[in-house]
Amino acid sequence: MTFTISAPPHKKESITFNKLTLAKIIALMPVVLLSVYLFGLPALGIVIAGILAAVVTEVAIQKAFDQKITIADGSAVLIGLMIAMVVPPEVPLWIPMIGSVFAIGIGKHAFGGIGSYVFNPVLAAWVFLSLAWGSIMAPASYPQTTALSDLVLETGAGVMAGVSPLALLLAGCILILLRYVEWRIPVSFFVTTILLAVLLGDSLSYVILGVVLFGVLFLATDTSTSPVTKNGRVIYGIVCGVLVVVYGHFANYVDATFYGLFLANCVSALIDNNTLPGSYGSETYLQRKYKRILSKVPFKDRLEVLLDD
Amino acid sequence: MTKVNIMKNMPEKVIIPLKQHDGSICEPLVKKGDMVCEGQKIGECGSYDSASVHSSVSGEVVSIEEAPHPSGNKVNSVVIQPSEDAECVDFKPKDVPVSELANLIKDAGIVEHYGTPTHMVLKPEGKNIDTVLVNATSSEWIGGHYDTPSQYSSQVLDALKLLMKAAGASRGAIVLRNDDLESISAFDGLNFDGKNITVAPLVGKRKVKYYFKDMASDIVVVSQDHIYGRKILDLFTYNVTGRKVSFGCDPTDVGVAICSVKSAKALYDAVNAGKPYIETVVSVSGKVKDPQKILVRIGTPFKDVIEACGGYIGEAGKLIANGAITGVAQYTDDVPVSKTTTSIFVQSVDEVVRGESVACIHCARCVDVCPVNLVPSRLTALADQGRFDECRQMHIMNCVECGRCAAVCPSKIHVLQLIRYAKSSIEKAYEDFAPKQSSTNLKLGCCGGE
Repeated sequence: MTFTISAPPHKKESITFNKLTLAKIIALMPVVLLSVYLFGLPALGIVIAGILAAVVTEVAIQKAFDQKITIADGSAVLIGLMIAMVVPPEVPLWIPMIGSVFAIGIGKHAFGGIGSYVFNPVLAAWVFLSLAWGSIMAPASYPQTTALSDLVLETGAGVMAGVSPLALLLAGCILILLRYVEWRIPVSFFVTTILLAVLLGDSLSYVILGVVLFGVLFLATDTSTSPVTKNGRVIYGIVCGVLVVVYGHFANYVDATFYGLFLANCVSALIDNNTLPGSYGSETYLQRKYKRILSKVPFKDRLEVLLDD
Repeated sequence: MTKVNIMKNMPEKVIIPLKQHDGSICEPLVKKGDMVCEGQKIGECGSYDSASVHSSVSGEVVSIEEAPHPSGNKVNSVVIQPSEDAECVDFKPKDVPVSELANLIKDAGIVEHYGTPTHMVLKPEGKNIDTVLVNATSSEWIGGHYDTPSQYSSQVLDALKLLMKAAGASRGAIVLRNDDLESISAFDGLNFDGKNITVAPLVGKRKVKYYFKDMASDIVVVSQDHIYGRKILDLFTYNVTGRKVSFGCDPTDVGVAICSVKSAKALYDAVNAGKPYIETVVSVSGKVKDPQKILVRIGTPFKDVIEACGGYIGEAGKLIANGAITGVAQYTDDVPVSKTTTSIFVQSVDEVVRGESVACIHCARCVDVCPVNLVPSRLTALADQGRFDECRQMHIMNCVECGRCAAVCPSKIHVLQLIRYAKSSIEKAYEDFAPKQSSTNLKLGCCGGE
């Protein structure tokens, strides 16, 4: 009888990177279907153009640099799909294609491929497209959530990501419950955004939009561009929220989400390096201060008897 | 109450490794062709860091040769063919003075499940032990069959008292697992030495010290969450006593001796029955027909243990000693059960983990599961590049090697392997330094502090 030998652990979870991306693609499907219903067939054309361009670019780059072809992991498809969702549906087909080529070529592979990129390729491509073709990229309308029905189907949406806040929210929450997406960034991001917007007096009907939720649940949680430490992720979410509201307060919350997150990507590594956890059992800042104060208290012998447990 | 079966069939031959602990190997006392008795000492420990080895069967020594060992290496072992006719004396309880207890432990060959001989844990050279902990968090009900749960619990408490006597420690605690309700109910409300035992949970700052004071007792029973891993002792010490063990030290440096239920039971048997450490309880699980806990003689090959459990289901793909998460995969089922074997786990061919590593996507799942607040993803990258010094600055030595990080990794990176590689490199680098001169370091605060 032959036995396999290998190093522990001998049992692993069945989760793989392919499953993570596939789950995100499936989670975005309801929104894509709703936008095809709302915008008609051109939306479908844009989705297909975006995905195709992304996949072809990835294959071309990996062939050219003699790397292993990794289109099967779904990351190129996801990036292509997300780019199609952040451009207005009435743009010519070459816009999402150029966006995908830029995202995969510059945003992803120029930085070292999956796991290494600094900026979310989707955001990088969106910023590039808006700066290069500002007039084409300007959405036909900016949505406002005035009625409950707007949460299900936002007819005033300018981009596909804004079509249905509720569908995005449900899909994102399911991903979080399945632990496919981690929860700290979305929660701290969302809470900060709402709190700040209320403080600054922005009407929430301009804040609770499909695009903002898309940013909270799908763009900000992109694993490569967010910190890994537990505290770092909370801080990153807060930074995202602050930047989005700063932009949103003076312009609109659709562009604010993209620009805000793009800027937050810049500080993610900085946050990571400054929130590395200490050794277990080491004293926190507050505990050290507490001990220092206690050491200066008179009659501390008597106090210690009370506190020493 | 989990039943512990006794293995009835005598194996064809038993293989008793002369090294079943961390430390130096024993010298064989027998030679080929000798007849040995059950319980006869066949390996003598020469040095301090060693524990005697006894024959677990009566029979004839067939050979003394290098044989497979569950740690994965080959170790000089005594191979004995059991025979029916060998006459053996019954074990007699010994009356041992307290000062001789440590020697008795060494002589009876009692070894902790993590590999250190028990006498080194209880009576470390140049260190004082003030607290003895019995770790019952993973191996509950191990060590025999009891009529009632209270028989088990009072026996463990008796054994704890013996351990405390042997170590000269004034305080002792038994640590149970929070979700192990069977054991908790066995201890709860037990009347021991005229005191009622209450199982107290370790919560927040309420460490064992608090309960010693609170219950005005030198022996307490506490419970904590399940923690596991190969290098669990430092974290365990911190969780239970609040004492931090620094790099290069072990729990004995801060005056804590950690024993397992198995060694406690073995000491109890050695004192009350005069029986050396020759049998142990192994839990067999996975793809075998009849998974169970079974009392086997040390030296029984895995093959025979699995046969006693009904044999394999289908074709076995992996045979693992000591648990599916942290255990060592075996290349043959001829390896014997040793003193440090606590479980045997069989995987079928389809269950064997296969997976190709891809790039880390920084999903932070490993960070979320780490019980000691490390950042495994970054440590892995640093270890891969050989930047061990930076690993050390990131507290890599705290790692308990539980393997959860590797288990949850969606990129299938060999996180645990890389971390262990870095740890062993760091340990090797520090071996060149001169050892600590004396225990005065303890006072200076190298180790210790509460």
